[in-house]
Amino acid sequence: MQSVVRKRGILLVLAALPVFAQLVTRAPQFQLTPLHGVDFVLRNSPTPRKYLIETMPGGVALLDYNNDGLLDVFLVNAGHVPDPLRSPVHFERDNPAYWNRLYRQNKDGTFTDVTVQAGLQHAGDTNYGMGVAVGDYDNDGFPDIYVTNFGKNILYHNNGDGTFTDVTAKAGVAAGGWSVSAGFFDYDNDGKLDLFVTRYLDWTPETSKTCGRIEEPMYCPPGEFGSTTNILYHNRGDGTFEDVSVSSGIAAKKGRGLGVAFADYDGDGFTDIFVANDAIEQFLFHNNGNGTFSEVALDSGAALNNSGKVPSGMGVAFQDYDNDGLPDLLITQLPHEPYVLFHNDGNKSFSAQELEAGFGALSETSSGWGVGLEDFDNDGWKDAFIVQGHVFDNVHSYDNSLRYRDVPLLALNNRGHFERGNVGPTRAVAGRGAAFGDLNNDGWIDAVTTSLGDGPQFYLNRGGKLHWLTITLRGMSSNRDGYGARVQVNGQVRFATAAGSYLSSSDKRLHFGLGDNSKAEIEIRWPSKIRQTLRDVPADQFLIIKEPERK
Amino acid sequence: MIQALFFLHLFLQRQAVAPQGAAPARVLLQSGIAAENRNDLDRALAEFRKAAELDPSSPEVLLRLGDAYMKKHDAAEAIAPLKRAAGLNPGSVPIQQLLGYALLAQGYAAEAIPHLETARDPGALGIAQLENDEPAKAMVNLQSALESDPDNPDLLFYVSRAATAAGSQSTDKLLAAFPSSARAHQTRGQGYHQMKMIPEAVKEYEQAIAIRPDLPGLHLELGEIYAGRTEWPKAEEQFRAETKSQPGSAEAAFRLGDALVQEGKMKEAAEELRRSDSLHPNMPETLYAMGRALAAADASAAEQALTSVLKIEQNTSLAAQADLLLASIHRKQGKSALASREMEDYRRIQGLRGQ
Repeated sequence: MQSVVRKRGILLVLAALPVFAQLVTRAPQFQLTPLHGVDFVLRNSPTPRKYLIETMPGGVALLDYNNDGLLDVFLVNAGHVPDPLRSPVHFERDNPAYWNRLYRQNKDGTFTDVTVQAGLQHAGDTNYGMGVAVGDYDNDGFPDIYVTNFGKNILYHNNGDGTFTDVTAKAGVAAGGWSVSAGFFDYDNDGKLDLFVTRYLDWTPETSKTCGRIEEPMYCPPGEFGSTTNILYHNRGDGTFEDVSVSSGIAAKKGRGLGVAFADYDGDGFTDIFVANDAIEQFLFHNNGNGTFSEVALDSGAALNNSGKVPSGMGVAFQDYDNDGLPDLLITQLPHEPYVLFHNDGNKSFSAQELEAGFGALSETSSGWGVGLEDFDNDGWKDAFIVQGHVFDNVHSYDNSLRYRDVPLLALNNRGHFERGNVGPTRAVAGRGAAFGDLNNDGWIDAVTTSLGDGPQFYLNRGGKLHWLTITLRGMSSNRDGYGARVQVNGQVRFATAAGSYLSSSDKRLHFGLGDNSKAEIEIRWPSKIRQTLRDVPADQFLIIKEPERK
Repeated sequence: MIQALFFLHLFLQRQAVAPQGAAPARVLLQSGIAAENRNDLDRALAEFRKAAELDPSSPEVLLRLGDAYMKKHDAAEAIAPLKRAAGLNPGSVPIQQLLGYALLAQGYAAEAIPHLETARDPGALGIAQLENDEPAKAMVNLQSALESDPDNPDLLFYVSRAATAAGSQSTDKLLAAFPSSARAHQTRGQGYHQMKMIPEAVKEYEQAIAIRPDLPGLHLELGEIYAGRTEWPKAEEQFRAETKSQPGSAEAAFRLGDALVQEGKMKEAAEELRRSDSLHPNMPETLYAMGRALAAADASAAEQALTSVLKIEQNTSLAAQADLLLASIHRKQGKSALASREMEDYRRIQGLRGQ
């Protein structure tokens, strides 16, 4: 698969350019490249009415829907308002230009649009698309797809034969309102994946308004609209879900949820939820282990940034950046405040460490959205990749230090301190979603990002010489995806999840950079509380680890 | 206009007119005064107008007529009778004063000035001078008026305007006479910065620095522009240059320390902030930044700095921030009771501040 890039000859062409030669001196070396067969354009269709939803899509998922060992790409499209002056507003999705798309990866590294073949062309004609979550909710071995919308969300069951069936009505997970990011996780460790959906604002086209100058209207900030609740669905195990938002305590807090990520931050064996809220305190829902959650962000130190200000939380990654074994939080937000890094101090508490970690000098005038903490250079330390672009298309008219389109940020982790890395030759876009995974199975993590009015950007990691290990968990007592497992490899920890970032779902395989180590020691704590250890595991392989039987 | 009417009000309280003249005119005058006392201004105006026709050489009648026009907010009509009255009795303070007001109200500031000088009315004179683009003179008169009426909001407003205008005039002179001087570039830089024309502002500051790199404040101001755009490495560079040329400046040391905090260079930041604190002790912003710089490496020193902030600041956003940071430090140390207490204080302040 590593040869995919070379086959197209793009690498040779770029390497011949002097500027490229200067930029490839630091690992990782990304190459922004079109993937053959992927012709998707994220059509957010901005109107003169400045509907805020136009600024927010869209998600991307990296999943192996047909279990052929190759990552496929699912892209969420937005929609179109044929007549902005007509009320009620109607979002057009029947036109193929506004469909969500599934691209199957072929063995030669090219992609084929299988949207119709898979039965995914019906996105709901009243829906405006937002994000995507992926998880095998019925443990049948095939990943299912959940699409969030402004409107009704859709759960597509993977039939295992290359097709999907819309099971939303039966499953009871349509939600409603303005859903944004979502994620599958198993909050009660019953072996069945539950579903969490963030919702942004109490907004409709009818209650929409514009802000800014009359001659230069702009989108209104979120404070102009009401806040709303997030939704938690409990998986009953019979193909249906129960809305437990109220009984679990999730609905007790109204927010402006955009991003969501999961990890067991206090090591009590139950997966907790972090919601990145826009311009209010962040939410950390501590899992009490009895089906209820307590929102503890402020008292845990994970609600406000280093200056005590409320972050404009957008995307979030919930992984351990400093290899102390505890999951930390990296939250993207608007410019002029650094991206927020909540370090997990233990004692069920966090402290804002973005300045100590170097993000003060990295964020500057950029707005961040999709985010991943992944070891892009395989040195054993998770780096940050953040897709950027301002919310407002005319922001430059209001603040000439800001720009709508931006390039992504690669922040390389030097033992807990982040420094700007080289993302390679790229171009500025209005970036939004981001998913991470090893697209070409070469042992080096790639990134796929989305941008408004544009095609997806594929950042293929050209790799290097260090070792790696990629693990696929196969839960038996636990959920089949192994979501919620704590996996430690040579001292590094990852919390198994495909959720996080913004609107997006990443490769569920767990990637570890091993540096110069050619062997690995693996310790897994499954959601079932079963512990598993593997020693002297050779590096540079894709490993499937099956959950052992309970002794 | 508003200010003229304001002074007219004062004037009318003070004036005492004793009309004299021909008998029919006197009758009309008295009738007009009676109507005026009944707040029947139209009738009064009609009576005064007839009296003036009958006795056009009476300054008193003309003054009453002009006064009635002014009360009707018709300064344009008031000017002619008042000018005639002033010609007949140039030494009359009430006539000169009212004529000055009428002219000022109509925008004839230059013409009003000699009348207001004669009337020795420093407040109105200052306003006229300000309108006549003589801000320095205006400042003197307005300050004089303010001494006898220190809480007058109109006077305070005009003093402020005069000060700004005087500054602007000096600036114009500077830019015209010394366009290539460092100060001229600095001034233009300030102007561009105010207008948020950042690239232009930066260029001006860079030119100023190229001419006089040791001029106090230049690097500081340029650094603040970069800091406002969260361009911390550039801000650090400028603040560092300022501290080098102004080693005794507590502000420069604070700004450099704060920029270093933003860049995560905590050790160096703490040193610079300590230096700032020694130059100008107990500045709460400096102490808070010191707390942030020391929080990870020296919890005890950070706690001390933040406690000092809370001794100086109560119920402010800085106090809330200090509480929050102290809570974080206590949590990290496992002192949950202390952390909870700080969080209670934080919530109390936020509640007071309506957040």
